Amino acid sequence: MKTSTWFPLAWTLPCALAAWLAPHWLDAGLMRLASEVLLAICMAQMWNLLAGYGGLMSLGHQLFIGVGAYALFDLAQRTGVSPYWLLPLTSLAGALCAALIAPALFRLRDAYFAIGIWVVAEVVALLVSKTSALGGSAGLTLDMSALEDIELFGQMSFWLACALGIVSVAGLQLLMRSRLGLAMTAVRDNEVAARSVGIDVQRVRLIAFVISGGMSALAGAVYFMGGMFLVPSAAFDVNWVVMMLFATLIGGIGSIGGPVIGVLIWFGLREVLATSLGISGGWYLIAMGAVAVVVSLYAPRGLLGLRLPASARRAAS
Amino acid sequence: MDWLSTLINGLLLGGLYALFGLGLALVFGVMRVVNLAHGEFIVLGAYAGFFLVGWFSTVPVWAMLIPVVLIGYGFGWLLQATLLNRAVRSGNVLTPLVLTFGLSVLLRNGMVELFGADSRAVDAGALGSASMDLLGISVGVYPVLMLLLALALFASLQWVLQHTEFGRTVRATADFPDVVRLMGVKPERVFCQVMGLAAAFAMGAGYLLAQRTLLTPFSGVERMLVAFEVVIIGGLGSFWGAIAGGLVLGVAQLFGQRIDSNAGSLYAHLLFLVTLMVRPKGLAGGRA
Repeated sequence: MKTSTWFPLAWTLPCALAAWLAPHWLDAGLMRLASEVLLAICMAQMWNLLAGYGGLMSLGHQLFIGVGAYALFDLAQRTGVSPYWLLPLTSLAGALCAALIAPALFRLRDAYFAIGIWVVAEVVALLVSKTSALGGSAGLTLDMSALEDIELFGQMSFWLACALGIVSVAGLQLLMRSRLGLAMTAVRDNEVAARSVGIDVQRVRLIAFVISGGMSALAGAVYFMGGMFLVPSAAFDVNWVVMMLFATLIGGIGSIGGPVIGVLIWFGLREVLATSLGISGGWYLIAMGAVAVVVSLYAPRGLLGLRLPASARRAAS
Repeated sequence: MDWLSTLINGLLLGGLYALFGLGLALVFGVMRVVNLAHGEFIVLGAYAGFFLVGWFSTVPVWAMLIPVVLIGYGFGWLLQATLLNRAVRSGNVLTPLVLTFGLSVLLRNGMVELFGADSRAVDAGALGSASMDLLGISVGVYPVLMLLLALALFASLQWVLQHTEFGRTVRATADFPDVVRLMGVKPERVFCQVMGLAAAFAMGAGYLLAQRTLLTPFSGVERMLVAFEVVIIGGLGSFWGAIAGGLVLGVAQLFGQRIDSNAGSLYAHLLFLVTLMVRPKGLAGGRA
């Protein structure tokens, strides 16, 4: 590829360097927070890939988070292999899960799809909590016996989160420069026009869905690996998708920077209100709701949408 | 005999489910808005009723449904007039979605802060525990009344929409919001009335629900899922479809719990998915 193609990815180098050095400066609490933020960026970005580019609004992405986490915990328990080596398999599980439910769900559109996948997530959550081999509703603990260096576990979890955060953003940047990405952008902007120039819209959607499912599963697996404990109510919590939806819609759907900004606002508000000012947890969520209401009225394309000139904004809405 | 009693109780539960879906179907049918705050409306109704019953203990519990419904109408009307109309007018499908999503987060956590997170119920008194004999099976009087109320509401709403001036205005606005303007109708006003009705139905249903089960501010999400399933099984925008959807889901849930006591709503969800696969447009819509 030409240099110009790689230039927008230059930001990844200092970021990777900072991630490498970060464990020297950050204490355990800050490292956990940073991991949470980076994994949230990855998840929100994957939701954005499906909703913003594929045009499929999902209210059931907690399905993939849960599937990834359970794949990791179950495989670790069965095989006794170190969790690090099992992580690629969790993203395979997520992708497979997406590919399996796609033929059924893709017959549905808009609200039907959103609710359909939500119900699938509920069904899987209920089935998992009834399966005693998966710990039932009491949950599972991660089998760590295969880890050689338990001391490094915290750092490794952090680095994995950094890698996922960086790869999700850079990967989406690269994807959007490829032929497939251009097709996705075309589908985002005008589905009928995209069809008319010969883009197979369903195929583009399927690819977006499988990537989104696989990466979300991986992010979920890394998140719960750090916690070492897993219950169905947390893994399949609808608040996962609430966060992805909030971050993407507030920041700006169908753009790469949007979800990043949204996630930073989500965690920024939480840290300022709940941690620094010591206001009870509910109020930060109330503030979040209020932000969503205000943004919907004054910046309907999200905060990044405000950058567009007025004429482009009118055309977009 | 036991199975018949499960069937009857399922139908009775379905009446309540149908009521959950009614407001959602109305708002979607007229404004094309997917109201993500519908579950919070339901819980709000339960809390409004809870406080009213506490303050005016001399008034019979069933009579409190009237003020709850009126509060619901006012709440929905105001919400539409102040916020939602601006979002609907933008013409962007995402805007109302973000707005109602924000409202649901706001209302849910607002209720947690104001009322606390512990579960509450409204004590329905003697009526709540009364039972009667139906085909040799003992069923609660209260659930029967609830189903009858749901059927009556559906029938009257259908009648109002088909045969009155108001109904014609609403249907015309749903089809051509810009054209009705030429006939001297303000679509915004119609939207306010429709949202008022939807919130009234939701809050009324929430009040009735609170007399059957314990509720917390977090109960809204689950009810909203039920409401969506009802509406989608029925076919978006179809009222008779919604009542059929409610009854089918109610029966499926109770039969599921009979076969498998800790299944929760698993079988209702599975039935919903199967229905969607067979008829992606719902029972009232065309075949795929």
